[in-house]
Amino acid sequence: MILLKITLIILIVFTFDSVYSQHTIKGTVFDTEGITLIGANVLEKGTSTGTITDIDGSFSLEVSDKNTSIIVSYIGMQEQEISLNGLSEIQVTLSENANLMDEVVVVGYGTQKRSNISGAVSTVSAEEIASTPVLRIEQAIQGRTAGVQITQNSGSPGSALTVRVRGTGTITNSDPLYVVDGVIVEGMDFLNPNDIENISVLKDAASAAIYGARAANGVVLVTTKTGSKKQGGTISYDTYYGNQAISNKLDLLNAREYAVISNESYINSGSAPFVNLQDPSIFNEGTDWQEAIFQNAPILSHNLSMNGGGEGFNVGLSGGYFLQDGVVGLDKARFKRYTARAVMSYDVKPWMKIGANIGFTNFSRNTLPENNEFTSPIIQALNMDPLTPVTKPDGTYAYSDFVDTDIRNPVNAIENTYNRYLANRVVGSTYGEIKFSDKLKFRSTYSVDATFAVANGFNPLFDLGIGPNDAPTAEKNNVNSVSIGHNTWKNWQWENLGFYNDTFGEHKIGIVFGTSANYNRGEYSGGANTNLPSNDPDDAYISNTVDPIGSQSAYESADEYTFFSYISKVNYDFKDRYLLTASFRADGSSKFGANKRFGYFPSVSAGWVINREEFFNVSAISLLKLRASWGKNGNDRIGNYGFTSVVLNGQNYTFGPGQNITNGAIALTVANPDLQWETTIQSNLGVDVELWDGKLYLSSDVYIKDTKDMLYNAPIPGIVGASAPTRNIGEIRNSGIEFLAQHRGAINEVGYEIGGNVSFLKNEVVFLGGGDPTFSGNTFVQGAVSKTDIGHPIASFFGYETDGIFQTAEEVASAAFQNANTSPGDVRFKDLNNDNVINDEDKTYIGNPSPDMIYGFNGSVNYKGFDFSGFFQGVYGNEIFNASVRYDKIGGNRPASILERWTGPGTSNFEPKVSISDPNNNNRVSDRFIEDGSYLRLKNIQLGYSLPASLLNKVNVSKLRFYVSGQNLLTFTNYSGFDPEIGNRGSLEIGIDRGFYPSSRTVLAGLQLTL
Amino acid sequence: MKQVKYISAVLILFSFLSCSKGFLEKEPLVGEVEEGFYKNEDDAIAAINAAYATLQFELTPAGHFRWFWGDIMSDDSEKGGEGDNDQFTLKQLEDFEGPTNTEYLQAEWEANYEGIYRANKVLEKVPGIEMDEQLKNRILGEAKFIRAWFHYNLVVIFGNVPLVDRVLAPSEYATPQSSPAELWPFIEKDLQDAINALPVKSAYSASDLGRITKGAAGALLTKSYLYQKKYAEAKSAAEAIVNSGEYALESDYGYIFTEAGENSSGSIFEIQYMNASGGNWGRNNANEGTFSNIFQRARGQFEGFGFNIPTQDLVDEFGDDPRLPFTVFREGDQMGDRGIFTKDATGGFPHNYYNRKAFNNKSEEAPFGDAAPNGGMNDRVIRYADVLLMLAESAFHTGDLETAKTALNQVRSRVGLEEVEATLENIYHERRVELGMEGHRFHDLVRTDRAEAELDGFVKGVHEIFPIPEFEITKSNGVYSQNPGY
Repeated sequence: MILLKITLIILIVFTFDSVYSQHTIKGTVFDTEGITLIGANVLEKGTSTGTITDIDGSFSLEVSDKNTSIIVSYIGMQEQEISLNGLSEIQVTLSENANLMDEVVVVGYGTQKRSNISGAVSTVSAEEIASTPVLRIEQAIQGRTAGVQITQNSGSPGSALTVRVRGTGTITNSDPLYVVDGVIVEGMDFLNPNDIENISVLKDAASAAIYGARAANGVVLVTTKTGSKKQGGTISYDTYYGNQAISNKLDLLNAREYAVISNESYINSGSAPFVNLQDPSIFNEGTDWQEAIFQNAPILSHNLSMNGGGEGFNVGLSGGYFLQDGVVGLDKARFKRYTARAVMSYDVKPWMKIGANIGFTNFSRNTLPENNEFTSPIIQALNMDPLTPVTKPDGTYAYSDFVDTDIRNPVNAIENTYNRYLANRVVGSTYGEIKFSDKLKFRSTYSVDATFAVANGFNPLFDLGIGPNDAPTAEKNNVNSVSIGHNTWKNWQWENLGFYNDTFGEHKIGIVFGTSANYNRGEYSGGANTNLPSNDPDDAYISNTVDPIGSQSAYESADEYTFFSYISKVNYDFKDRYLLTASFRADGSSKFGANKRFGYFPSVSAGWVINREEFFNVSAISLLKLRASWGKNGNDRIGNYGFTSVVLNGQNYTFGPGQNITNGAIALTVANPDLQWETTIQSNLGVDVELWDGKLYLSSDVYIKDTKDMLYNAPIPGIVGASAPTRNIGEIRNSGIEFLAQHRGAINEVGYEIGGNVSFLKNEVVFLGGGDPTFSGNTFVQGAVSKTDIGHPIASFFGYETDGIFQTAEEVASAAFQNANTSPGDVRFKDLNNDNVINDEDKTYIGNPSPDMIYGFNGSVNYKGFDFSGFFQGVYGNEIFNASVRYDKIGGNRPASILERWTGPGTSNFEPKVSISDPNNNNRVSDRFIEDGSYLRLKNIQLGYSLPASLLNKVNVSKLRFYVSGQNLLTFTNYSGFDPEIGNRGSLEIGIDRGFYPSSRTVLAGLQLTL
Repeated sequence: MKQVKYISAVLILFSFLSCSKGFLEKEPLVGEVEEGFYKNEDDAIAAINAAYATLQFELTPAGHFRWFWGDIMSDDSEKGGEGDNDQFTLKQLEDFEGPTNTEYLQAEWEANYEGIYRANKVLEKVPGIEMDEQLKNRILGEAKFIRAWFHYNLVVIFGNVPLVDRVLAPSEYATPQSSPAELWPFIEKDLQDAINALPVKSAYSASDLGRITKGAAGALLTKSYLYQKKYAEAKSAAEAIVNSGEYALESDYGYIFTEAGENSSGSIFEIQYMNASGGNWGRNNANEGTFSNIFQRARGQFEGFGFNIPTQDLVDEFGDDPRLPFTVFREGDQMGDRGIFTKDATGGFPHNYYNRKAFNNKSEEAPFGDAAPNGGMNDRVIRYADVLLMLAESAFHTGDLETAKTALNQVRSRVGLEEVEATLENIYHERRVELGMEGHRFHDLVRTDRAEAELDGFVKGVHEIFPIPEFEITKSNGVYSQNPGY
């Protein structure tokens, strides 16, 4: 202690001593928008003397000579060197770092300068995320990263998105691996986009190989914001409020037209039409059921964050609140999220650093049935007849006399839906890092990801009839019921890593090695009961029923799996010209049997920075790099115990005079002790070019990605009598090419930026075990819509081709036999095998649900305090199967296009005659329901204004920006449904519209304030 | 300082090697691995019960109800439903248009083989369990019956099907089809074994009511013989049941088809259903209800789907037979506690009749929140009256007209009808009205060579059996061939 004091005194004396020979320079640092920069580095050239700017952006630095130079730098800005030339006060304006190649990119277990990367990595920055107010961060990636296709599963608030990195790689589960601040997590629903610093997508096998066994479908690395040591304290507050509305309505039959079509349908089938519909002219427009269910809905967000740091430590705290209601159902489709996050790190000793990063999220989501042709209120609104009013004269909801079973009054159906999913999730990690020397350090990280989720459901009593037996079954519920489900997932991960970096002359080497252990446990329990004396959803508890014990049901189950890995990676760099990265990872998973437990995943990649060669002297080209990589990744996303036979209870029968349920037990699934890793082998070639000091950046990649030993529950013969085990069967090839271009520039004071990316992708099933095709996507239009087979893309549409409409009886007679009762006005199906009979053998591939091309482009302009940006996103070349019209329901409403129906020779060659019996089965799966799914959408457009710094400085505000933003304002598409962006229901159900909850058109206004 | 570094280095190294073997070895938390099961009496009982559970399968996932094949395919009833397009391929099957890839064929195929798998599992695992030998024998007998029952279904519906007498190993997945001539002896053998192993009905304890009895095995054996026209064998198998004294005709015919009439004195083989735990949706669930009730009740206020509509031809067959009102509902009839049958009340559908034998009262359904609660009515698969009529038929063919007449008139006198002679025509008529809408008619027409004459579109030599499901042929990679004519 005494020693320390003496040292301090000596230091102080020396410091004072030097003051007299020095010169003081004062100044302020601004960005191009005139906003002061807090925490910019100011350094005297050639010395270690330096300081950082304070909260006003100003600094004061003692320099050795009044003619020396100072260097001013700031993260994300171009460094500037300024000769003082005797000045004692200066103003420095830093411009944004236009040089993409100097950007630091987060890669697996480390960071790399973009110019030194030899794999294929796409990034999304915090600014890009901030430029589009979004609910989930997948939305921020959509259209901004080449080769990554993102599709919303539904337009309802809080709905998940499907992320496909370089195509659908496997049938079982093609989701990428998500890693947030080093923690492997399931999904990203818990993240607040405002907390994100940047996102990297590792696309090629070599970049992803360091995540080994789980990286086959790409890796999404998310880094959250943290305070900076160099930066003083900042406080930021962001908020926006907006309104969402449906962007288009479909043209359906009105009441008068409905009556015409209904009468004709009955007459064409030889039946008597409804007496009360006989004179259609007495009807008007009737009920617009779309009007009845679509509403304007609010969206709002608040975020507050505080960051700061000092010598040896930094801390950050943030909190957020987000609320979005649905354009269908308002609060019945509400998503609400609270987030809180704390990050800190501290240098305990010069050789030791500790840190923690903890996030808590509470979110709740109310859901309506969606993307389901039997239960979705959107399907009901599209198919409910326009004659039925929303309400009866007494104000209660009306039911239809014309449609049956699942087509219900959608307004009543929405009102009586009470489904809520609420989750509390904690994702956090703590680490300690020990520095053995400047070259070698170790880090041990322990992290947890725990989710506590509750699903509540309540079905109240209702009866739309006046008398007890008036209303059809679907329009009444005579017994109310309540259910609850608790799902808990508790995962931990413990990683121990060593990092070694060294330089030998012009050789640089970096090594990462270590282990990772991972434990996951899921617990599921819940129950249900019926017959509640109260019909109030607030009283809906299982124990609050007439018979709390007798009629109650309960379940409980749990599972667990473990994972252990050995990790190694070497980066080698010679003269910054020749780059080499190799990695090797061994992963063991409890999902596989003892002899197949470990999988081994090597990779190698190389880069050649040609412009750094001595022979290269094209001054316009500031970077020219060739990249090549090869690697092997794995996938273990299957059920937990596939390698063994599990005998399950509950296969019961009833015995005895009282019919007592008696337990039965059997293994329902055949075991597969040979189960092993699915592997993906990918080769990638890429080129990066930067021209005119970063004004233009171009990048391109081509790849071939082969999935082998695909994990798949391939069908087995029915005679086995048990469910098919998961087997390593099948091969899929995804191949493609990706382009990225970005240009930044300025004309006088107007800065601008334009960029875009486009990817072409081909997906093909190469091999499927014993050649068994898989049918999927069952719809009401009878049977499977999709087929997965060798030589075709996954889940291709499969059905009949049509060839217009039979105009005359002669045409029917001369065509291939379809049905004994086929008559003029029916659809003519193509007899592809020319056997003169239309049957299953005539089915063929009629559409591909995956796009050939995905693309996005953006542009932004800023002038003084104003900024303006726009962002388009699109897909091209995919088809949609439109299953939103319930042709199986005789009395259902129809699109107005049915008015163009066939009514006699020459009247129509595309819309068959209407009929209630439809003996020709005109509505079988055919190309009649296939539509072009290409679209181009203006995802976001934004206009902002930042108040000038000179004004803000007076009130100690560093930034105040207002903006207005519009989302999904324009969509160009030929698709006839609400929204061409159709989500998936699993890998084998792509692009089928079953009453999809459409995206809304959103207009919002916000402000961003930084102190 | 240095020490700290070394200690931490050692700790880190330790953690590197810390992947103990056990860490990656995880067994299921719920359920047991098969190696740990089949160890005691309880396991043996649970194993046979799981095989019983497949008897209840009827919507797994598509419908394959017994009445699809027995009634709808015959002249007793029509598909019904909302219109031709409601379960369109079922209509095609009914019209003998021969769709080969319908889900009904596929579901029937899969459900039968799932039952066979479970029975084979019992036959493979239970012999090795140390337990009461008498109980073990009975369980093996029950398994033999269940295996025979599913093969019986397969042979009468599909004709040429693979014979599966063990749990198949992957190398045996390509087992080829056997002909009926190969399948029938296997079925007979299993049923003989079951007869030898199983107790008679009265020897079971009350809590085992619903288990397969010696009588049930004998009755199915009788049916099997009769299907093959082995009349002498059929006659003696039927006589053994009659002589056992275990069964008697229930005096009140209508009572048989009520909830209270389940497992009554004439019940030989009855699939048990109860109303208290959901319907039997899907393949592998614990539910014990039946969808036969809701599928066959009228629509509208009767809250059914209106399938399996009795034909005028069937109604005419009855004349003034007192069994008619217990077989079909006619307009104006009281449909239990659900109201009076008018077409308006059924949602305006044109059907004149509905199956009464599958009707259940609303008060007998469990009060589920489900808008379509399931029924709890047992499926009366083989009744004593059926055995008596099989006896009459086989006795007729073997020339024992006296036995034939006695058996035939025993059935008639129960409902107060006068005695008639034992002619084939009288026996056939009696079967049709006594067993109407119970899933027998199509098979009776086929085995007595009357189908071609009675059924529109039926082609002799083709439509006795249905097509092998297309998907199974595809999966077999050329091992299976389609039935002739399809």
